[in-house]
Amino acid sequence: MVALVILLALFFDFTNGFHDTANAMATPIATGAIKPKTAVALAAVLNLVGAFLSTEVAKTVSGGIIKEGSDGVQITPDIIFAGLMGAILWNMITWLKGLPSSSSHALFGGLIGAAIAGIGIHSINFESILQKVILPAVFAPIIAGGVAYLCTRLAYALTSRHDPETGDKLTQKRGGFRNGQVFTSSLVALAHGTNDAQKTMGIITLVLISAGTQPAGSGPQWWVITACALAIAIGTYAGGWRIIRTMGSGLTEVKPAQGFAAETSTASAILASSHLGFALSTTQVASGSVIGSGMGCRGTTVRWGTAGRIAVGWLFTLPAAGIVGALTALLVQTGVIGVVIAAVVGTAAVAYMFVHSRKSPVGHDNAVQIEEVGQAVQFPKKKKSAGKAVKNGGAKR
Amino acid sequence: MKWLELLSVAGATLVAAVSVVVLYALGVRLTAIAGDVQGSPAAWIRPLSYVCFGFCGLAVLFGLWLIVPYFHH
Repeated sequence: MVALVILLALFFDFTNGFHDTANAMATPIATGAIKPKTAVALAAVLNLVGAFLSTEVAKTVSGGIIKEGSDGVQITPDIIFAGLMGAILWNMITWLKGLPSSSSHALFGGLIGAAIAGIGIHSINFESILQKVILPAVFAPIIAGGVAYLCTRLAYALTSRHDPETGDKLTQKRGGFRNGQVFTSSLVALAHGTNDAQKTMGIITLVLISAGTQPAGSGPQWWVITACALAIAIGTYAGGWRIIRTMGSGLTEVKPAQGFAAETSTASAILASSHLGFALSTTQVASGSVIGSGMGCRGTTVRWGTAGRIAVGWLFTLPAAGIVGALTALLVQTGVIGVVIAAVVGTAAVAYMFVHSRKSPVGHDNAVQIEEVGQAVQFPKKKKSAGKAVKNGGAKR
Repeated sequence: MKWLELLSVAGATLVAAVSVVVLYALGVRLTAIAGDVQGSPAAWIRPLSYVCFGFCGLAVLFGLWLIVPYFHH
């Protein structure tokens, strides 16, 4: 069981990686600031480095959502197994649909479901759910979106150039924002590595402690750190191209100034949230930033249909992962056969979704239609090509 | 509920993002002016744009400092 949980945890780390590539790299890919393959490679390296930078793992699996610890319930490897199953399946489904959704919220959902089914409803701390899952999900996009909106307006206002005598528009020369995007999105990728790989390290370490192979209170072993870092880096490199498509061109057409404003807001929000004691999900922050920057740019439309689908996805994250977690927990309780069935069904479901995804592959070559607008291109032409891209994007869906 | 923390996160995000974007946008604009062909731009414009980008670079370094736990633990 311990080995199975470790394997599953590493696979969760992998899905976490490819689910979240889009947060950092969707906008620079969309504006052509970095080539798609280079972007995911950069994100992968930064995630790898980030994972090694921060190895101080949490003391609890669920961060207080389940009343665990000395005076609470004991979270067994069985519960963690079931919770991971729920989180992984939800990550796979949302990836297949191209929806950015928070991996940590999926994990919380899976664990909550597993704990309710395996231990009982008294094991859940509902106030903690409100504070750690529901409120952040509401406020992350609002904060990030509002800031990104303001930043985009400012960026455009400060760089709009008119001829002082005739009032004609001069060449705007906003290409410089592309260089900036490289730095801001790299910060997001690095921050992601330090935050998210650590979660899996924590789970594996706690499982090892509960199995008695490691003294309580000790940090993660070197092979755990290495395996987690590699899993998240490989996942990032695999690149969730479907989600990159949604974030890069599905929500709105991202132009360099917008992309820079969005990434700066994302990076600021993530760093602020991880240091001022109110955790926000990277995915929700990044999605909010992209929408906000789309609203802030005149002549750009935000596709609210796509935004709505993402919001619905967030609503379902907890219950859906929870139901899978609960079912798995019930199966696992029946004994060894149940564990085998759960493992086989889970693997089959993941394999089915992967095969299904091959029917309409989305890769680095077709994830985002990059608008190659050079600095010298005049405005009328730019507008026309943007309109065309909208039509193409609309036809695809 | 941690409303105070939420508020401070929102405030910090706003201040940080707006200052970086304003500085960078100024840098971009000054670079654009310095590159104008007609109407010879003043000589101090290009160095000033470098100053703007430099402050953005400092902000990125501060971000790195925040990310790497080694520096503040």
